[in-house]
Amino acid sequence: MAKTKIDDINRNIYDFKNKDDYDYKIKKGLTREIIEEISKQKNDPDWMREFRLKALEVYNKLEMPTWGPDLSELNMDEIATYVRPKGKMASNWEDVPDEIKNTFDKLGIPDAEKTSLAGVGAQYDSEVVYHSMKDDLIKQGVIYTDMETAVREYPDLVKEHFMKCVPVYDHKFVALHGAVWSGGSFVYVPKGVKLDFPLQSYFRLNSPESGQFEHTLIIVEEGASLHFIEGCSAPKYNKVNLHAGCVELYVKDNAYLRYSTIENWSKNMLNLNTKKALIGKNAQVDWVSGSFGSKISMLYPMSVLNGEGAKTEYTGISFAGAGQNLDTGFKVVHNAPNTSSVVNSKSISKNGGKCTYRSLVRIMENAKNSKSSVSCESLMLDDFSISDTIPTNDIRTDDVEFSHEAKIGKISDKTIFYLMSRGLSEEDAKAMIVRGFAYPISKELPVEYAVEMNNLINLELEGSIG
Amino acid sequence: MELNSTPVRTCKNYNINDIEFSEKIPNKFKKFENLKIFKDTEKDEVITDFKFKDFDIKYGTGLIDQIKNSSNQNIRVNVNSKTNKDIKLEFDFDEKNLELVENIEINIEPETTSNIYIIYRQRTSGKAFHNGLIRVLSKSNSKSIITIVNLMNPESSNVLSIDGKLEDGSKLKYNIVDFGGKTSITNLYTNLLGKESQNLINSIYLGSNDEKIDINYIAECFGEKTKIDIDVQGALKDNAKKSFKGTIDFKKGCKKAYGNEAENCMLLSDKAKSIALPMLLCSEEDVEGNHSSSSGKANDKELFYIMTRGFDRKSAEKLLVRAKFNNILEGITNKEVKGEILYEMDQKLD
Repeated sequence: MAKTKIDDINRNIYDFKNKDDYDYKIKKGLTREIIEEISKQKNDPDWMREFRLKALEVYNKLEMPTWGPDLSELNMDEIATYVRPKGKMASNWEDVPDEIKNTFDKLGIPDAEKTSLAGVGAQYDSEVVYHSMKDDLIKQGVIYTDMETAVREYPDLVKEHFMKCVPVYDHKFVALHGAVWSGGSFVYVPKGVKLDFPLQSYFRLNSPESGQFEHTLIIVEEGASLHFIEGCSAPKYNKVNLHAGCVELYVKDNAYLRYSTIENWSKNMLNLNTKKALIGKNAQVDWVSGSFGSKISMLYPMSVLNGEGAKTEYTGISFAGAGQNLDTGFKVVHNAPNTSSVVNSKSISKNGGKCTYRSLVRIMENAKNSKSSVSCESLMLDDFSISDTIPTNDIRTDDVEFSHEAKIGKISDKTIFYLMSRGLSEEDAKAMIVRGFAYPISKELPVEYAVEMNNLINLELEGSIG
Repeated sequence: MELNSTPVRTCKNYNINDIEFSEKIPNKFKKFENLKIFKDTEKDEVITDFKFKDFDIKYGTGLIDQIKNSSNQNIRVNVNSKTNKDIKLEFDFDEKNLELVENIEINIEPETTSNIYIIYRQRTSGKAFHNGLIRVLSKSNSKSIITIVNLMNPESSNVLSIDGKLEDGSKLKYNIVDFGGKTSITNLYTNLLGKESQNLINSIYLGSNDEKIDINYIAECFGEKTKIDIDVQGALKDNAKKSFKGTIDFKKGCKKAYGNEAENCMLLSDKAKSIALPMLLCSEEDVEGNHSSSSGKANDKELFYIMTRGFDRKSAEKLLVRAKFNNILEGITNKEVKGEILYEMDQKLD
């Protein structure tokens, strides 16, 4: 019987490297002096400098995770936490240094901006190099800028929200982020404003043995609506790079936010990102997440349903190939009556890759008449890959409807047989099954990413299962 | 002290990896006298005061050393009969027998069939402590049902480890009834080593007042075409809390293995808490694994239907719980044991 072969992601478009040419690179390590130097380089206001130093103290007190992938190869003494690229932030691509502009050209960002986006932010190493948004949105009061500008120009708004949703003591890598954060996007959508086109921020880490710690802070006011897309990639180096970003989403009553992420880090990257949304009355946050890159990922976006009638949906796919350990999933806390959550997760592991779905559904005592439905499916494409499902379901009241189901296995021989009996060739049948497996996720992705994902499910027949 | 640890850890903040056991653990025990043994055939053997060789088990609750060093009952059961006869071990706690630390070895010979009951019963008041270990070797092509019933009183602590190994073609079914104890901790490990071996674990629990129930079932499939099916049904009232940890681990080489895990908790109070961690671990491609978990209150439509037939709400809830438990109850063929379980269930749900 023929065997299905699914290609690895074609990384040629991500793996090109530029020369490690920067304006400033902090020395490796993590000390009080280094944090003070980062703060000085970034011209932080006093409160931010104090915040960073406090976060460093918390980092030094917290222990490494006692669960999940082995992070022993991470040595902060070998990581430069701040790399300032050449050039100043521009609002016109022509003003971005050529080498950096070429990078984003290859990634297709300026083209996407012209055709389908309302605004774009582009970060290269530790700083945002480009930020722009359509004029009509500026007139409506929408703010879309880099975090440093927001700290300077909207200090009250930032102070009120910065690391309040994700406090620095949540876990060790959030504390690290609080100490060394740089770059990222700030979005403010005023009451009732609905954006027809998405905003997209793209994060590119070029410098070897460094880290990227961008901070994304989004506030969607009452009745407003936004689709935000986040993309990330890096070229591959021999030594470990670190990504410990933080995303904080405040979605007020009756508002809507769709947060799409395509993560395509290189296979030397430790991706230890933290994302969390606080969701108000009758508001909704939908997460769409594709995890394809990185050596190790620990990524569990979280929705806290604080307002009555709040909703959230998570749709995610992970694809782990050789040498990858992708530990991903979703967390939701129902903290008000009549809230609902829907989780739909898929994973594909091949060539010795490991996918783990790890999740939490917590329905609190006050969340009467809440509903939660979780479904996760894992597909293994060979017998030396690993796929684990580790969901925690914590139900603290009786007036709920909660269900969880998971499946694990290979492509079903019966399904192949059925499709072949309808006239499909075996390879077409298998291609159809794998595409069908991924379809509920790919249909939720922005179109250019969906095309990319479908391309990677490039099936051919080879060898035999036996 | 932390007991009943999961084989794979998850985030510490989820509070499910272990249970914190704060009860004082006694360390010296006099002989536990109230053991009754019944068996229907001379072919099967039950040996008491059995001298055990040292042994290791892979998991367990965390209190195994106490059993090795201080057990006050050591029993070996040899199953030799092929006629599916009953063997029954009854441990009755009373004022003079409040501490039981026992070590039971069940050796099921090839091609045999058996029906084994182990009952922990406490009809008197008084805080008792039970720490037990049941080790099962299910040899090739044997068929056995082992029913374990915990009916200790609501003041007591129940800690039980079960460790089983299944050889080629053996079929082993556990019926586990967990109704007793202020704290009840069960760890069950099953090693499906033999080709085409099958293990069915049917379990029911009932919690009331401030009781804590901590269940940790771990099944490892090594053999080809092995089958593991875990079905856990429970109900919680008052402030009771249950943690269910279930792991099906498909090891490399267990081709065509099948695993299914279903856990359902009926919440009969808005203060009751149910937490579950149903894990599937997979290192083999050619397997099929499923799990499902659900929690919620009694179905309103079903309750309404029963109440239109003249039942009050409490009776209607009892009927629904009974219906959920029926699968396991039907599998208990000994009428006395079944009657006792039904009586305790009725009492507990009142």
